[in-house]
This record gives sequence, structure tokens and C-alpha cells, in this order.
Amino acid sequence: MSFIKFENVSFNYQHQKLLLSELELSIDSNSFTAVTGPNGSGKTTLGKLAMGILKPLSGKVLLEGRDISTMSLGKVGSKIGYLFQNPEVQIFANTVIDDLGFVMRIKNIEENEINKKIDTVLDFLNISDLRNSNTFNLSYGEKQRLAIAGILINEPQFLILDEPTTGLDIGRKKMLSALIEKLLAAGKGLMIISHDHKFINNFSGKVLKISGGKIYE
Amino acid sequence: MHPIKISDLRFKYEEAQKNILDGINLELAAGKITAILGLSGCGKTTLCYCMCGIIPHIYHGHLDGEILLFGNPLHKMELSRIARSIGIIFQDPDTQLFSPTVEDEIAFGPENLCLDREEIAQRIEICLKLVNMEKHRFEHPENLSGGEKQLIAIASVLAMDPDLLIFDESLAQIDADGKERVKNVMLQLKTLGKSVVLVEHDPDNLAIADDIFFLKSGKLEAINITNKREFDELYKI
Amino acid sequence: MSKFSIEADIRSKLAVVLGFSTIAVFIQHIYVLSFILIISIAAALLFGANILKAIKTTRNLWYLFFIIVILQSIFSRSGQALLAINGFPLITAGGVLKGGEFLMRVSVIVFSATIISTSNSREVVQGLVQLKIPYDIAFMVSVAIRFLPLLRSEIKDTFTAIQLRGLDLKKIPLKRRIRVYLYIFNPVVAGAIRKARGLSIAMEMRAFRAYRKRTSFLKLRLSAADYFIMVFTLIFTSAVFVMFYYFNFPAGII
Repeated sequence: MSFIKFENVSFNYQHQKLLLSELELSIDSNSFTAVTGPNGSGKTTLGKLAMGILKPLSGKVLLEGRDISTMSLGKVGSKIGYLFQNPEVQIFANTVIDDLGFVMRIKNIEENEINKKIDTVLDFLNISDLRNSNTFNLSYGEKQRLAIAGILINEPQFLILDEPTTGLDIGRKKMLSALIEKLLAAGKGLMIISHDHKFINNFSGKVLKISGGKIYE
Repeated sequence: MHPIKISDLRFKYEEAQKNILDGINLELAAGKITAILGLSGCGKTTLCYCMCGIIPHIYHGHLDGEILLFGNPLHKMELSRIARSIGIIFQDPDTQLFSPTVEDEIAFGPENLCLDREEIAQRIEICLKLVNMEKHRFEHPENLSGGEKQLIAIASVLAMDPDLLIFDESLAQIDADGKERVKNVMLQLKTLGKSVVLVEHDPDNLAIADDIFFLKSGKLEAINITNKREFDELYKI
Repeated sequence: MSKFSIEADIRSKLAVVLGFSTIAVFIQHIYVLSFILIISIAAALLFGANILKAIKTTRNLWYLFFIIVILQSIFSRSGQALLAINGFPLITAGGVLKGGEFLMRVSVIVFSATIISTSNSREVVQGLVQLKIPYDIAFMVSVAIRFLPLLRSEIKDTFTAIQLRGLDLKKIPLKRRIRVYLYIFNPVVAGAIRKARGLSIAMEMRAFRAYRKRTSFLKLRLSAADYFIMVFTLIFTSAVFVMFYYFNFPAGII
């Protein structure tokens, strides 16, 4: 059974013409998929449909065989992590520790366990030195890593990254690509939405091209 | 005369420990495309802000050294005076466009300069033609793609008729097709005798540059990149 | 979908909105208010405003209005009791009337304001400037309006992002939900400041406020229809006031 499945999905934004039309798509839980296409072709929309953030005009998106529109965002978030184009929209607290821990604290999880999880994630991303930092003072690249940390702490099986290379220099792109390799090696699945062909070509997997509302492989 | 001449420029942000720019010397050549490279956070944007007066007029800090704009000290000029000679295009197209139509957007600068209406009409036409967006004149900028928005941002800066244009990572958010269109506009500007400063971290956009500088540890270094390996060396951390 | 609509200058639209709103604010009489409400809806449609869309976008505001209406009808007790507990009148005819009046007054203001939305922001700014309002203030107002949709998409993303962290907003008890909202506040404010700064720098680098005056490429001209609309609005508004205060028409308040 495929992990994410699009069945005959069409989508348009209010009062605009059809952006995606009758898409069929099937993605495995540990595969690498790249989505490319020009600005405005619907790449981000595809990602948001796969997350259930947007609802299709017609057709269905299935996550592990279940209609995603019947699941809460919280539930989807525990299965798929989503990195927004602008990581700043998903950093909530003033300190790195609080940002990674506040959800668990609201859920009354034990402090010991929270700290253990935070340490594991920071270590995985090689940002243990940021543990006590203030989120305002982080650079763009560091904010992106923190946003990914906030995603990974939920232990999702799959990650969708929307334009993760925007604003990164060559050195930071290399770090990101090493991180992606590491995630794949850990058995996670990934979908990367990007117009940076050079970056995408670093990885082996499916490349989907969106153009004129259709997907080409 | 150099459009911009920078001598021993040093700058430190209020709360920072050390200088982000630490002895910058640069003489920009008129009618050329000058690229400035560097890692994120190395001070590229800070340098852009100094060159166009955003520092010290809007952002403050400790500024030392001298920047001459066609021989006149830049920090003594008002921002609106500087804006006639220097235009800057930023990374995010959304925070540069604020008018309901493309035409209004381009007219905004010349209106502030109190040009008469015939002159403004002429400039709108010339600038739209230069970026090849004539057919979008009455559209809402919001409905354009990222690359097209950036072209409109360029057109509206060009309408001020500046001698020098600074592109602060303006290509980062736009797709391959959009990048080509913007780069073509830069080459056209060069033939019109304008100077272009291209701040970048993508080596693929450097082919059009005449001079390339690398910003590191607060200093600029002229470089000559002939192959990809040299480039990778440069970015070794 | 091309419907008939009047092409009018923003200044005559402003006159209409001002006239109707003044009546709605000063005359608290259910008949007058119903009359003005009908007229303002008709006027909005005539100018080509999309009333349904306006209701949709101000949806949350309307919930608030309804709560105020219910509170008003509970707290102002007069006339016949419609609902009483142990002989204590809870909702009265007078209270319902007061609540209804409030709702109509707000509706007149909202519906007539949709008339302004049929002009684009540059026209509104130019209208204000040609009415001798300083241009920098007029522009700031229009940029603020432009700013809202820009912010809205980011707020939406933030709301989505916090739920994806594993928080199900609907299932969290109210007290803890307030804590969640405080966390949402953070990225929203940071984003707003960043965007506002970007916009203002972009404007200044295009010589905004270089001089006390600026030229305008757009010139608004009043047509015969505009003069007619303005004169008509003036006469209409004055007539309603004169009828109400001097001739006591429509008579009597229930």
C-alpha cells in the first residue's frame, strides 16, 4: 500500500482557474520524491494537499489508505512533517528549548522525557550548541534547522520540505543535502519541492514536474 | 568618476561584538556588472545597505570610513537624494510592491520626485518595455508570478532613472525562466551605461559579471573564477 | 458575470457612505434605520459592490455583533416581556428592538462601506489627496490595507504549523488553549514587523516624502453623474434629518 496517494485530485483557489487537474500520484513511505516546476505552477499547493492543509476540489488524498480530510492536522503532523517555505512561521517560542518542548509540556508529558527527546533531535541535526539560544538571534539557516527539529520531535515517518534551499548559500546547501541523506538513511521518506534543479539532482529518486496543472515524471 | 568609491568602511551593529564590515575598499566601475559573493551572514546585505544609505539613515550602528557617491559623501545626503542615483531591489518581491496596478507601482517613484505627468507617462512606457512587461500594465501585481513581480520591482526602481542598481539576492526566489529574464535586463542596463551590483551566493548567476569580489571576515577580495573547483575552494568552511 | 453598475468617482462614493452612516449613527428609529438599510444595500448593488463577499470576509465580526445584540436585548428591559423566568422579565420587546436597531446601524455602515471597495486603493488615496488630506497619511492608510492580506496568509500558515506540531486546537481545554494562542502570537508579530520594515524601506528608497508635495500620474475628474450623486446625497441626508427632527416623522418611538 502506498503511503500517500492522490486519486483524481483537482484543485483551484477561490475565484481562480483550475491549478491542478485530475492528478494521480502514489508515494512510498521511505522513498525520495522531488517536485519541480516554474513559479506559480502549483508545487506548494501539491505539498499542502498532501498534508491535508488544503482540501481538493474533487478527488481524494489518502494517507496510509485513509482519507486525509477525515484526519485532524495534529494527527497528520505525527505522520508527515512539513517545512514551510518560510521557517519563521513555525518557530513559536523565544528560546530553542521552549520551542521544541512547549507542545509536550501542554500535553503534560514528563520533563525528563521532554529533555531527552530535545537532546536527541538537537544531536541528530548537529545543533546541540544552539540549545540555550534565543530564537530571535538565529541566522536563517539555523532557523530552518530549528524548524526541522520541531518537526522531527514528533517522529514522523515522512517529511515534505517546501523550497528548502531558498536563502541558503552553497555551504549551507551542502549541510542540508547531508541532512537529507541522513534522514533517508534513517528510513524516512522525503518529498522536496524546489525549483533548484542542481540541488535535486544530488539525490536519486522520482522527479515530478508540474506544468499546466499536470504532473510529468 | 566612480559611481561609488568606498574607503576603509567599517560597520558594527548596535548589539554586535565585532565589526561585520571591517575595512572595505571598493571602486565601482561605471557601466559594468560587479558581483559580490559571500556566505550567509557575512555582511553582504549590510554592505548593500551602506551603499544606498539605508545605513545609517534607517538602520543605525557604528559607521566608520567613507563612501563617495560620484565624489560626494553619501552619509551626508538625504535618502530621497540618494534614491535618485541608486536603486535597490530586494530578495522578497512581496515587500516591494504595494500598489493596486503595475502602472501605479512604476509611477510611485517619479511621482515622489515631482516629475510632470507627461514625463511620468514616458518613463512608465520605457521601463515596462525594458523589462518586457508591457502587456501587464493594468494588472494587479499580486496576480503575477514571483519572477514577474521581481521584473516589476526592477521597472519601478528604473523609473527613478538611477545610475547604479543594486540587486540584493534578487534572483533567489525566482525560477530558472525568471532568472534568465532578469539577467537579460541587467545586460541591457549595462549597454545603457548603468552600473549594476549583483549580490549573490549562486555561482550560476555569475556569468554576466565583469568583476567578482568575495566578502569574507568583513573584507572584500577581488577574485577571478575560471573553474568550478576554485569556486568550491572559496566556500570551504 | 457582467452586471450593470455605475462608474463613479471615489469622492462621490465617499459622500454616499458618509451620508448614510451619519443617518444611521444619529437617528435611532427602527423605521428610519430599515429604510436606510434598504437604500444602502440598493446603492451598494448599484455601484457594483459584492455584498455577499463582504459578508463572508467580515464573518467573525458578525458573530461579535450578534453577541452584542443578544446582550443588549437582555440588559435593556422595557415593554412587554417575551421571555421571563420566575416572573423576572429576561428578554423584552423593548430589548429586542434595541438589539435590532444596533444590528441595522452596523449593517448600514458595513454595506455602505462596501461601495468604497469598488475603487482600487490608488483611487482611494488620490481621492483623499484631492480632498486636501496630506498624501503621506493617505498612502500610509492604503499600505496598511495592502498589508492585511500579506499578513493573513502568514497567520494561516502559523495556525496550521502549530496544529501540525500535534496540537488539536478543538480538543484542548480553554485554559490551555489560551497558552497556545500566546505561542502563535510570537511568529505573527515577528512577521508583521519584518514585513512592515521591508515595505517602508522599499518606499523610502523610491524617494517617498522627498518633498512636501508630489505629483500624481492618476488624476481624478468629477463627471456630471458625480455632481448629481453628491448633490442628491446631500439633499437626501438633510431631508431625512429635517423630517425626523422638525416634522417628527416617522412619529413616536415604541
